[in-house]
Amino acid sequence: MTAVEKRKLVSKIVLSLSSLSAALGLFFLFWILYVLVSNGLDALNWNVFAFEGAPPGYEESGLKQALVGQLILVGVASLIGVPLGVLAGTYLSEYGQRSKLAETIRDISDIMMSAPSIVIGAFVYAIVVAPMGHFSGWAGVTALTIMMIPIILRTTDDMLHLVPSTLREAAFALGAPKYKVILQVVYRGAKAGVLTGILLGVARIAGETAPLLFTSFNDNFMNTDLNEPMASLTVTMYNYATSPYEDWQKLGWAAAFILSMFILSINILGRIILLKKKGK
Amino acid sequence: MATIVEVTEEKALEVKNLTFTYAGAPAPSLKKINMPIAKNSVTALIGPSGCGKTTLLRSFNRMHDLYPGHTYEGEIVFEGRNILSPKEDLIKLRTQIGMIFQKPTAFPMSIFDNVAYGLRLQGIKNKTELRDRVEAALKGAAIWKEVGERLKDDANGLSGGQQQRLCIARAIAVEPEVLLFDEPTSALDPISTQGIEELVTELKERVSIIIVTHNMQQAARVSDYTGFMYMGDLIELGRTEDLFVTPTEKLTEEYISGKFG
Repeated sequence: MTAVEKRKLVSKIVLSLSSLSAALGLFFLFWILYVLVSNGLDALNWNVFAFEGAPPGYEESGLKQALVGQLILVGVASLIGVPLGVLAGTYLSEYGQRSKLAETIRDISDIMMSAPSIVIGAFVYAIVVAPMGHFSGWAGVTALTIMMIPIILRTTDDMLHLVPSTLREAAFALGAPKYKVILQVVYRGAKAGVLTGILLGVARIAGETAPLLFTSFNDNFMNTDLNEPMASLTVTMYNYATSPYEDWQKLGWAAAFILSMFILSINILGRIILLKKKGK
Repeated sequence: MATIVEVTEEKALEVKNLTFTYAGAPAPSLKKINMPIAKNSVTALIGPSGCGKTTLLRSFNRMHDLYPGHTYEGEIVFEGRNILSPKEDLIKLRTQIGMIFQKPTAFPMSIFDNVAYGLRLQGIKNKTELRDRVEAALKGAAIWKEVGERLKDDANGLSGGQQQRLCIARAIAVEPEVLLFDEPTSALDPISTQGIEELVTELKERVSIIIVTHNMQQAARVSDYTGFMYMGDLIELGRTEDLFVTPTEKLTEEYISGKFG
């Protein structure tokens, strides 16, 4: 066998191994999707959206409280987390730059991003739930916000960093003060990236169960008061799926399906924003 | 030892004993530069890479101040004041001394908004005034014919040469006294380069121009005065035709005859 033939053989072996791995990965992905969609669609009907939770065996039982609770928890967490994350990311990229403080913040938020989410739940339990004496929507919001900030902070930092420094200099050279350079030139240049980062941050916290389990806890009935325990799709899904009742298990599938579709559409929206930007 | 020619015209700027050191650098990048800049003329700065020509250029609008830790010593006199003084209002200074960069720096906004950017910074809100001044600037930068019909289009859709002329329009819209060009054609094709060079020659009616270039032919074509820099020193400043034909300094002669650089 010549050297060239040998290289071709090795190339073929590597190619088939990597193709096989890709096929295996895709196989499981589509299997999950198939099971999710078939069970989810099977369980999905108008009642799911129209009714609150009910004891097993009741016809009129649904996920209304969990849908509303999920939207409130994720919505309020985003209202707090997005501005904080974007502003902190702006500080890192535009003011802190390579300073020691900025680098320390970057390192800490990288560590926070990889922290197990249940640990953040436990932390919030200790600082919010225990002093208040009961579970509450605010505790859940706190946990989700803590998870969200480092994600948005780091993507904002990275995306602003991608704006060429010559563009900033050009604005300064026209006599622009720094805050106007950031607001009018840097943000504009990084708009698509920052927006995508925000969406990915929202999608990430929308799928979290562990930080909510012992913070916002759960509620089988409709509650919009953040001072009280609040239902979420994820915790409801966990409770229903692990229950012995078949109709509750079905609702669990419906919750799983709705949640996945929600997160999938946020991700697709993020892709579309990025593609539009590139297409220009 | 440096040969600095007398500038007979009125002076736009005068550099006196300027020493500049980058943050953390062991030695200064500009060493006691003395240099007059003639008004309403083009002064070119030439020299090998790393000689300090861009460093000098960026001192005129205090661009170095965007990054911490650099130090200036000496003076740059502009309109009777030392602009290196810590009290200098940098925002005002930069509206008086504009800058064009090596790569076109069109902002991610419409053509109109790009040119209006500096005007709006100065608080001009009147729509007719904005329109008139944007139009005048675009005409002044010889790009009105190409973009006059599509001012609302994204500026990043323009070609490199058009973007560079747009940046010139943006800079002249605020009516500066001095324009700094930092290798403005090094990213452009020959035809766009010619357009920019013609523009530079036209613009000196209204502004004083300092242009950094690594292209000696370009310096010879567009400038009235040429300064040759080497390792942080201004070796020679002369009238362009004299400096290229009969240089005084041996180093200048070696550089322009291609012995190094």
